Amino acid sequence: MTVLSSRLDQRRQAVAFGFVTPTLLVITLILVYPILQSILLSFGDSSIDGSEPWHFVGLKHYAELMADQRFWNALGVTLTFTGLSIPLELIFGVALALLMNEHFRGKGLARLAVLFPWALPTALNTLMWRWMYNTDYGLFNAVALQTGLAHRPIDWLGDATLAMLSMVVVSVWKTSSFMALIILAGLQSIPKELYEAGRMDGMTKWQEFRQITLPLLRGPILVALIVRSMDALRTFELPFNLTDGGPVTATESLSLYAYKVIFDFIEFNYGAAIVVAQFLVIFAMSLLYIFTLRNKD
Amino acid sequence: MKTRPRIGLYALVVLSVVISFLPIVWLILTSLKTTAGIYAWPPQYWPTPITLANYIKIITDSPELLLYVLNSFIVGVGCTALTLSIGGLAGYALARLNMRRAALLMVVILAVSMFPPVSLLPSLFQNFLNLGLLNTYTGLIIAHTGLFLPFTVWMLASYFSTLPAEIEEAARMDGMGLMRIFLTIVIPLSWPGFVATGLIVFIFSWNEFPLALVLMTQNAMRTAPVGISLYPGEYAFPWETISTATVIAIVPILVLTAIFQKQIVGGLTAGSGK
Repeated sequence: MTVLSSRLDQRRQAVAFGFVTPTLLVITLILVYPILQSILLSFGDSSIDGSEPWHFVGLKHYAELMADQRFWNALGVTLTFTGLSIPLELIFGVALALLMNEHFRGKGLARLAVLFPWALPTALNTLMWRWMYNTDYGLFNAVALQTGLAHRPIDWLGDATLAMLSMVVVSVWKTSSFMALIILAGLQSIPKELYEAGRMDGMTKWQEFRQITLPLLRGPILVALIVRSMDALRTFELPFNLTDGGPVTATESLSLYAYKVIFDFIEFNYGAAIVVAQFLVIFAMSLLYIFTLRNKD
Repeated sequence: MKTRPRIGLYALVVLSVVISFLPIVWLILTSLKTTAGIYAWPPQYWPTPITLANYIKIITDSPELLLYVLNSFIVGVGCTALTLSIGGLAGYALARLNMRRAALLMVVILAVSMFPPVSLLPSLFQNFLNLGLLNTYTGLIIAHTGLFLPFTVWMLASYFSTLPAEIEEAARMDGMGLMRIFLTIVIPLSWPGFVATGLIVFIFSWNEFPLALVLMTQNAMRTAPVGISLYPGEYAFPWETISTATVIAIVPILVLTAIFQKQIVGGLTAGSGK
């Protein structure tokens, strides 16, 4: 009996392995191998078409990286963008989730409205905003000038600080809904009895929120924060389409700089060093989140 | 006492809806204006006259913009079909077949999905160039499939693990093979999971930018987000054409999201809850 069942199990393991193989194959080809190749590229010199074979140059590209002002600028831009967007997204996300957790008529339509910005391509969302930010013909300047809020057209994307803030606004507009959805699912899993108990103890709405809702939302908030921060740290098409990294390099994110190094300056190996560094930043950020939010328990 | 908070609530709801829709509505209004109307002062908040001239002009003068939408559609459908078939099999094996080291594999699959897509570009571009996969539907479909498989496997595995095990066990007792069980029992039982996952993957593929930008270098092969973004002139944008093309490119997603709102929201929240 045990011989038979173990033989059956062996057969099943073989079939299961067969089922997983195509997925592992594609993931290896598209994700694992290119990442390993990027790491290898970053430690060597080579040409794209293979005419100059890869040879080891050690930490040469990483030494260049350390001395590259534009790399440090891109890192700063990326961290500033992430640091400004994520807290705002979290606040709006929690607010939207609390709102969507209420009962009111037309809720389906309202939920759809907040889902749209998330569902549309970031590249095209960005174009819509770029059109509204347009100095001469954009909606914002039209309203600002006609209402007298501004006397001269505002150069939303031409000023370093304004361009960064404009970029943050687009990101918050697009992704607060994603945060809201995840947090809403968490809200709906909080047992109603807890609130009833709270009411019996004479808690105010704010106390309820602070002492019941927020602690129980820590899990979904952690997930939303990690997913969104990783997204923000690799933001690419947003600056690509909004400002092309400008004015000068005021909104040039790491991904955008890496892209330009690889495909505009055709420096594959140096570009690979940038993306490896970017990955390390993302990895460190994930660990930081997990440890800070875990330790609060 | 009861009415005042309700008014505040509705005010907030209306505000959120207006902010969400504003860029989209403004874009649609722009696409319905004449060129003079778009660049007029005082600004036209409502198109006068309303015209479909921009839409007609795209069909007659810039059919490549419609081609971009078709390319996005081909890549999106191909990627969704491929991702669901092989991701479904993998999710089933990992969730249901007591596979050895299934948990470890799930974590590895999740971990590799955290790499920034730009970090794949130097290597993917080089390999696709050597394999002749640049500027092919097959190439971008495979690339997108790789990108969205981790999400798919996690979503479907979590869906499969909610199914009752008895039916599969009974089928196994009857001597049915695992592949037949998967095709004739598991898939029909879990189609809502497939629909939700498939919709989200289609949206992901439709929206994906960096790989579509780098792996499709010929104008005729570009997807909608890339093609429209790179439309002639980096600084002097022909906004009447851009706004119209963007409306055309987002309508399919708007319609999909509107029809399948419940499935998409359910899928997203389930996927991230794990």
